Amino acid sequence: MRLFVEAWDPGFGAGVESSEFVNGNGSSAEIDTEVERPAEAWEPLSPAPDVRAPDVVLMVDGVRRRDARVWVGDETDVQPGLAASYAAGVVRCDLRRGAAEVVTARVERGVFTSFPDATELLTGAARYTVHQTKNGDQRVLDNALQARLAALEAAVCAESRDESTADELIVADGLLGSRANASRMLGYIKSQEQPYLPAALTPVMTALRAGQRTPVFRLGTRFRHYTWYLRLPGPKGAPWGNLVRVECSTELPPVAAVALADLSAVTLPRFAATSYKDPRAPQNLMPIAGLERRLRAMLGDGRLLHRALTRTANQVPV
Amino acid sequence: MTDQTVGRVLGTSDATPLQFWVAVAPGAYLQLDDVVVTGRELPDGSTVTIAGVVTAVRARHEGAMFDSDVFAIADGALPAQIQEAAEVTTTRVDPEVYVPPSPGAVVRRATGDARAGALYFDRMDRRVPMGFGRDGEPVYLNADFLDGSRGAHVSISGISGVATKTSFATFLLYSMLRSGVLGGAGEAANTRALIFNVKGEDLLFLDHPNTRLDERTVAAYGKLGLPAGAFRDVRVYAPPRAGDSSGTPDVGSRQTGIDPFYWTLAEFCKDSLLPFVFADADDERQQYTMVVHAVTAHLVKVAVPAEGGISVEGRRINGYADLVDFIVDQLSDEETRHAWTGSAVGLGTVNAFARRLISSKRDLARLIRGDLAQRRPHSINTAESAQLTVVDLHNLPDRAQRFVVGVTLKREFERKEKTGSANPKLFVVLDELNKYAPREGASPIKDVLLDIAERGRSLGVILIGCQQTASEVERRIVTNSAVKVVGRLDPAEASRTEYGFLPPAQRQRALIAKPGTMFVSQPDIPVPLCIEFPFPGWATRPAEAGTPPDSALRSVVQKTDPFAVVGAAVGGISDDEIPF
Repeated sequence: MRLFVEAWDPGFGAGVESSEFVNGNGSSAEIDTEVERPAEAWEPLSPAPDVRAPDVVLMVDGVRRRDARVWVGDETDVQPGLAASYAAGVVRCDLRRGAAEVVTARVERGVFTSFPDATELLTGAARYTVHQTKNGDQRVLDNALQARLAALEAAVCAESRDESTADELIVADGLLGSRANASRMLGYIKSQEQPYLPAALTPVMTALRAGQRTPVFRLGTRFRHYTWYLRLPGPKGAPWGNLVRVECSTELPPVAAVALADLSAVTLPRFAATSYKDPRAPQNLMPIAGLERRLRAMLGDGRLLHRALTRTANQVPV
Repeated sequence: MTDQTVGRVLGTSDATPLQFWVAVAPGAYLQLDDVVVTGRELPDGSTVTIAGVVTAVRARHEGAMFDSDVFAIADGALPAQIQEAAEVTTTRVDPEVYVPPSPGAVVRRATGDARAGALYFDRMDRRVPMGFGRDGEPVYLNADFLDGSRGAHVSISGISGVATKTSFATFLLYSMLRSGVLGGAGEAANTRALIFNVKGEDLLFLDHPNTRLDERTVAAYGKLGLPAGAFRDVRVYAPPRAGDSSGTPDVGSRQTGIDPFYWTLAEFCKDSLLPFVFADADDERQQYTMVVHAVTAHLVKVAVPAEGGISVEGRRINGYADLVDFIVDQLSDEETRHAWTGSAVGLGTVNAFARRLISSKRDLARLIRGDLAQRRPHSINTAESAQLTVVDLHNLPDRAQRFVVGVTLKREFERKEKTGSANPKLFVVLDELNKYAPREGASPIKDVLLDIAERGRSLGVILIGCQQTASEVERRIVTNSAVKVVGRLDPAEASRTEYGFLPPAQRQRALIAKPGTMFVSQPDIPVPLCIEFPFPGWATRPAEAGTPPDSALRSVVQKTDPFAVVGAAVGGISDDEIPF
């Protein structure tokens, strides 16, 4: 019998979420493995020795918290809603100067509800703007919140970019989704659910050593992306441990995608977290963890906000 | 926000009326001893001004959770913010409404009047400059607590060599005498000071300007409102050379303007000075103390002055050694012993007394004389001396030092007692207080010092005592000192309760205080102030001495007594020394 212990803290899920991924059953997604080299020639790739990490790496991330579930309405109609705080920010790691700083960080609060006549919510601690949703379904409310956060992330990212320099790499936490328009932007996926590679190529992925990547392949789910797997340095464990998937836009020529893949292989491992410091090590990158801490601090105290919302609710004449 | 703003009261630590933390704003800084001020608005619209002194500062990475995160931060892999914070100990709350400052309140650096208010300088009618704070601004001592108006006495503690205790004591004296706080010209001129020089010849050049005085130091003195220069009106006394029959002062480096001091046998007997020969704390515990007092009393009765020396029961005695031999003879004789000691004293006790008396011959023979002219000035009397009297002890053995200090202080105190007035003041600078007034035991000197400490304030005698360890000095002397000063301290010593007036941070700093840095606690200000006093304007060693003042040349012609008889057997001089 073989036993592997997942490196992540169980409260945060796992780096690999499905047995299909581990057992290498291919997925139904549209896939093109011939982008960088023919499938027969696949092997773990180390970046060329002359590939240099960029001077500046921008990392974008957002956090959200549901402050309270609320009911909004009048005498005749009451609809469910969600009061949430969310924040997005950009950390700029200047590797030349050796300085990581949060360049932009913005926090917003909103009430997501399907009640059509909802007005802005003013509490003693904060102001919640209203965002209308199609209906009061919990999934819809959550998706609306997620969409607002994505928009905020995109906004702070656009603010922080320095278009004048080419030597700048942007790493967005999570799927690239529709954000893929930026040429030097990478999507960074910590946790693997779907096994995208066909079973025949899975051994290439599991044979990766720290700092190595698989060849680039194209993936077509809802959005089409170039993507590759990368192994981060970390404690030895399961063959599929310490893996992350990195995405970039298909608007780039394949050569540029390969160059980005090499760049990610020399850049990202240095940001890998250590297991005793981060429950999601090594996949949760240090700058992102630091940014998340700062953003969470900006969200404010959840209990305080909940109390303020409750007090406001008690003041509103029903 | 004005340019004086340095930060805001932070809310992650408790803010109390007596102590609070300040987050330092980006681009600003606070250092230890900086004076800051903040305000708190009360519901009635009035504002409470809270002023304080920075007693601790810290900087930390916010956003870092582990010590090793610092490497990731330095590599640019982890975002973190450096945040400095300063602990402020409140010095003044005005009006006296003890409310905490609100977290978030703006904190400003106090300058000018705000600083003077924070440190109570505005309430001091008479201020003695005592040096500069860390901000380079003058720091003052309230003269009321120095001259006896509301308090008196200064206690200076610190390790020998690095604590610069004597230098600070002399600077304080200079500042006191020259800053004009003592009142009108007459009052200031009549004020007297007495300094005992116990180590080297450091204090023998107080009236010589310092040749190493540069423009910067002169400017510093100017900022303090003091003229830079030497002490005016100084008189230096030194003991006579051992074995020298003409009584030349025993000093190496200073040749002019120095007078010998000694006591004649007649004074020794009449003024009951014998107990000061046994001034060791050790002596007081012994049985022979009663013999000392009996013999002293008998000497008063029987000694008759006889031109320089004395005559006892018809026998002429010409020196201390003679006197000791005579007393020992009398005590060993069965017939005379009881007249000297009284009847109830055992022979062993008498012998113990005799042994110690004999051993004092070598140490005291040069100070108690029967061979020098009586009329010749030889005694230390601050009232008739110059403003500043320096008594050199450094060449004397321990027992002789105790004798001189004890007798001089007792005489001065008695003189002040007789006048019954606090004016003019007499300042006494005494080093090695732990030797003269140790915590354990009793001695005649300790009695005098205790008297000064407890009654000196009303009699105008102010003690500026220096000691390495305040914990070893009689507690009543230390507690009676209104002004407590600490230089570099020994770590073991710093933890003693005697230094309870120092907050923990300052206590730690006292361990590394550099020469010239002192912590001064005065009753007005709840936090001791860290000061640096300027380089002395007077010479502290022969190499620094500039042109001597005219008064120093006086005794070139006066060192020989003009009334002494040429060729006389006792106190005579040879033909060559006739001064005219």
